[in-house]
Amino acid sequence: MTEYIVKQNALADFFKSLASGRRLLTPRGTGDKCKLGETPPDQVTLEYTNTHLSPKSLLFPQTERLMAFHNERDKPNGYVYQSLGDNGEPTVVFGIRPCDARGISISNKVFQNDRFTDPYWKGKIDQTVFVGLACDAPSPQCFCAAMGGSPFGESGLDALAFRQGGDLGLKTLTDKGAELIKAAGAQEANLADEIKKLEATAIEAQGVKADYKPIDDLDLMDLFKDPHWVATAENCLNCGVCTFFCPTCHCFDIQDEASERGGVRMRNWDTCMSWLFTVHGTGHNPRPTKTERVRQRFMHKLKYIPLKQDGVRGCTGCGRCVAMCPVNIDIRSVALKMTQTAPSPA
Amino acid sequence: MNNPYLPYPVRIAEIRVETEDKNLRTFKFEFLNPEDEGKFAYLPGQFAELSVPGQGEIPIGIASSPSEKGFVLFTVNRVGQVSSYMHNMKAGDVMGIRGPLGHPYPLDKLKGRNLVIIAGGFAVTTLRSTITYLLQPEIRPDYGKITFIYGARTPGLLLYKDEWMAWEKRDDIDVFVTIDREVPNWGYRVGFVPAVTKEVCPPPENTSALICGPPVMIKFTQPVLEEAGYQAENIIMSLENRMKCGLGICGRCNVGPEYVCKDGPVFTLAQLNRLPKEY
Repeated sequence: MTEYIVKQNALADFFKSLASGRRLLTPRGTGDKCKLGETPPDQVTLEYTNTHLSPKSLLFPQTERLMAFHNERDKPNGYVYQSLGDNGEPTVVFGIRPCDARGISISNKVFQNDRFTDPYWKGKIDQTVFVGLACDAPSPQCFCAAMGGSPFGESGLDALAFRQGGDLGLKTLTDKGAELIKAAGAQEANLADEIKKLEATAIEAQGVKADYKPIDDLDLMDLFKDPHWVATAENCLNCGVCTFFCPTCHCFDIQDEASERGGVRMRNWDTCMSWLFTVHGTGHNPRPTKTERVRQRFMHKLKYIPLKQDGVRGCTGCGRCVAMCPVNIDIRSVALKMTQTAPSPA
Repeated sequence: MNNPYLPYPVRIAEIRVETEDKNLRTFKFEFLNPEDEGKFAYLPGQFAELSVPGQGEIPIGIASSPSEKGFVLFTVNRVGQVSSYMHNMKAGDVMGIRGPLGHPYPLDKLKGRNLVIIAGGFAVTTLRSTITYLLQPEIRPDYGKITFIYGARTPGLLLYKDEWMAWEKRDDIDVFVTIDREVPNWGYRVGFVPAVTKEVCPPPENTSALICGPPVMIKFTQPVLEEAGYQAENIIMSLENRMKCGLGICGRCNVGPEYVCKDGPVFTLAQLNRLPKEY
């Protein structure tokens, strides 16, 4: 962990160096047009709130071809699936927000879990260096601090950048990040106190000060059985837009597509809001109505993931689901309702 | 790098129709690459994704025992797209299997104990694996008394007839096979699994129960065991949920924080009592 500074007049060279020999992806555009894209080094901007979509598709594309087969029986490997590879390439992502980086680190523990490693995810993440950009001006929908993150959060990042007047301050967090930043000619500087000050100001600027800690201490089954879920789910259309935008929603479906000469097996983003998501072959469905499905989503974010990931919540407070939900279901008010669950007598 | 999504190619060596309604067939697979058999090292209670190129995958319990070398067995009920397609495949056809997945029955922890193994309908598959495994001469002395209770609606819906008939003749396993209603020339028991369990299950001391069956059988057998004095820690069950990846990643088979595929499918009743009933 070393801090660096890049003076305003050296920024162009800095980004040029970041982009040498690899893709440089940065947020471009504004509002709902803001998205991560390959950016020429001289066009990198720091003027954006956040990307419209979460960055998850970088490592987990919405549709991904996993493997393919041919159906010529007489030739070798007829009807035998062969992997199509991970399609990873050397990449620097500059400017993702700490909430989204935290989302990637949460999903990373799912895609590389205690028993299995997803090679398609690993192939991409191993070749990517994430340099985040701290938030000095939170948007009205932001609540990362209330969820346990920070506008200067470091989880999931190789280095964290922040605006220091017209200059760019940097803090390296991993060897991968240190190597990149050093090679890009940034100058060492002692900025630890400065970072602390900026972080405190940015957290203070966030509107949401709620304390969701009681959820961590409540029993799983008490939270699950609480009667509020019926009312909480009442407005839900099960449209799945929350899962589409969520940086930590990682569920997918696997589908085969056959053609005349063979076929491919692909995976596509899926959503727990769908009835089909869990229905058994027999027709039995463990989550038959929207009440169970809405409960599943919030329990997953706020109880199941913390239980499996040392207390880290599955919601990063990016606020996308709050902004996008067509019926104004707000994870902040759902979390508050959950904190009010009555514990069952021991 | 190992790719857990990529199936091992197998050839269908044999297909056996198991039931009179022809809805269940047992597929005997041989690995196209003999070295894959070693990589597919499994234990009773685990499952695999059966993969038909161009059709999809289905999670199915492994019916063969690790002691049976050179092949693996899966009994498949005709239900949806993949299983229906498989029922129209022939010996010699090439497909894939991916696994082994999930955790096995905790047989290593049950050494020295008596076992009552209760199966209903075609959920008997992984218990066939278990019994075949336990009855090997070098394994059998590690366990106490073994009781096997197996029920189906009719005689024609009982799987693995040759096998349980052979087990019946042995003196190191007590076999109780039952059907729902009396039929002519039926030489075994008549009655539902819970009633037979009540009558024949061994005392709970130093005994564990393995149960696999349809929800209605489990619903009525569980109280019988509890009444008999079985602790929830000693009642071991296997769950099913809709699955895709089998690796704890795709997100749909969870029961609370646990994934049936990666953390199960084998759970004790004590574990399940602390989890939502979303299965």
